Parts: sequence; C-alpha cells; structure tokens
Amino acid sequence: MDIQNLRSQIEKVDTLPTMPSVLKKLLKVIENPKVSLNEIGNFISSDPVLTTRVLKVVNSPIYGFPGRISSVSQALILLGLNVVRGMLLGVSVFEVMERAMVGLWEHSMGCAVTARIIAQKKGVKEPEEISVAALLHDIGKVVLSLKFTDEYKDILNNAEKNGLYISEAEKAHFSITHAEAGAWIAQKWNFPKSLIEVIEYHHKPHLSKNIPVQSAIVHLADILIQARGFGFSGNNFVPPVHPAAWQALNLSETDMKEILIEMEEVLEQAEDFLISSE
Amino acid sequence: MAKISVSNLNPGMKLSKPVVNEANMILFGEGTVLTEAHIERLHNMNINSVQVEGDSKPKKAKEEVLAELDARFKKTENEPYMGILKKLFIDHIEELYK
Repeated sequence: MDIQNLRSQIEKVDTLPTMPSVLKKLLKVIENPKVSLNEIGNFISSDPVLTTRVLKVVNSPIYGFPGRISSVSQALILLGLNVVRGMLLGVSVFEVMERAMVGLWEHSMGCAVTARIIAQKKGVKEPEEISVAALLHDIGKVVLSLKFTDEYKDILNNAEKNGLYISEAEKAHFSITHAEAGAWIAQKWNFPKSLIEVIEYHHKPHLSKNIPVQSAIVHLADILIQARGFGFSGNNFVPPVHPAAWQALNLSETDMKEILIEMEEVLEQAEDFLISSE
Repeated sequence: MAKISVSNLNPGMKLSKPVVNEANMILFGEGTVLTEAHIERLHNMNINSVQVEGDSKPKKAKEEVLAELDARFKKTENEPYMGILKKLFIDHIEELYK
C-alpha cells in the first residue's frame, strides 16, 4: 500500500468504534477550534458518565493534584482548554487503548506521569500540557491496530520473535511508524499544533522545531517508563535515547535520581488508580 | 497496608486510607474499623477496592527485578548514554530494597 493511500485509510478513522455516541458528539465539540470553555463544560456536565470519567482522570496522578478537583468547571479552569481537549481524548481512548494492546494504557499513563515530573524538574511552564502529549504520544498505535487489526497483531508478533522494536516492525510492514500515523490522525482531528509535533517526533525529538524541549521530555519519559518496566508499549527492549535529546535536557545525576524516586511514588498511586478503574 | 477488593473485605478490618466517592467526598475516614453494615454500603456505592491495614502484596525479589531490568536493556546498553541510564536504574532498585 502506498503512503498516500495508507494515510487516507488512517484518516478515515474519524471516530473510535467502541465509543458511545456521547463521545462522538464530544469529539465534534472539541474539534471546533472556536469552542469556549463554557460550552465544553456544559457539554460534559450534561452527561453524568462523562462527568464521572473526567473527574476521575483529572484527579488521577497524571495531573498531580489528586483529590482536589470536584467539578468540571473547576477542572477546566485549572487545566485550560488545550489540556482538557487532550484529556477528553485520553478518556475516550482509555478502553480502546487497552483493547488495542494490553498494557498500552498503563504505558501511556506512566509516560504522562513521568513527563510531568521531568517537566517540573526542568521548570517548564504548563507541565500539564506535556502530560497530555505524553498520554497521547502513542495514539498512532491505537489507530493502526484499529484499522489494521490482524496486521498489527502480526507486527507485534514479528517484533517479539525477531527482537525488533515495534517501530522497526511497523516500518517493515507499512513503511511508516505509529509516530507518523499518530500525527496524521492528530492533524485530521485538529489537535493543537504542539500536540501534533510531540506525537510526530517522540522518537526524533531533534527534528521538533517549535517545541524541542517538550518533545525531548516526552521522548525521555517514554524511555524511562519502559526502562522501569511499567505497562507495555509493544517493545520488548528499552529503545535508545536520542543523544541530542539527552544532551539538550542536560539532567544531572542527582536530577535523574530524584526523577526515578518521584516516579516510584507517583506510579504507586497510578497503579491504585488503574486498579480502581477496573 | 494493602489494597483489597470490596468483595474480599471482612468485618474488623481497619481502613488505612479514607474511602472517597467520585467527587472526592470522604465516606469513611482513615482508621475506621469496618462492620458488616459498612461493607454492605461500600458494595451499594459501587466502590471497587479500599486500602486496609496489613501486609501489602508480596514484592518481587530484588534479584528478579534486576534480571528483568538486565533483559530489557540487552539490546541497547551499549548505545550512547544507555549504560548511564541502566546504572541509574540499578542503583535506584538497590536503594529501594535497602
């Protein structure tokens, strides 16, 4: 299949199949770039199931203020529109992710937690935005496995059998990886530009022109969470860190030690959150 | 401290963390000694699991954790900075098991 054809096939995934109709409507609302916080708030609040899920996620360790947000409007004010848009996507892909690949949701959530910790260590403004980007960085895997379910199973098997990274196995089959697929669907869904850039360059953060630091943070978080052995990304081995990204972040040994300790604490809460979401 | 599913609770167990509902309102405070009635209420409120005092689930042995780490790094430990990263994780695990 040529790339153009592949891209148009992937772009046809305009909704996620297991999504209830309310989430389909929600995607329409958040795809509209002119939508206001109030409109989103009203929309979410009109649906009790959605409200519950949103409150559950905003109070999860992903965002670092567990137990403090009790209303949707408060969540919107605290997190801002971009974060909430991404988070709603995260909420809606929750089940699909787990179905696509067992452990992918844990991987994504662990990556989000880790990215926030690194972002705070680096003093980056709006660490929540980086969290969301990290939560959704592997959206391409979800889309590929939804659209090409059997083929994607073969890809996972091939990676395991032949000791390949998932990206290598994807490339061998599709000539692209989940990073490109994710960026295509993110563009199609009108995600914020910065989010698209992180999704596209989370393996090659040195190519991220506008937000190199954010992309490098998600890249490193992705590797740390795999090294820690939390969740399953499709890789059986930790992928290499991009040297330029490592140098650019310039984290000292003490920084890294502190990051690993903080990860341990938050991941414990994340595990609790995952158990209570079952 | 252990996380335990509500269906496995027995009267007399003591909460090591408060139980909150979805809006984060506290339903039962820390230290509550559970009765049949409490457990019944937890069931009715669709709470899945709570934290009670007692032993946590058994941790993996340190050797096993280190062996798994070693296997994960097999393919990349000679790439730039990956040796440093692996060493950081080994030290971190040693620290956790002290």
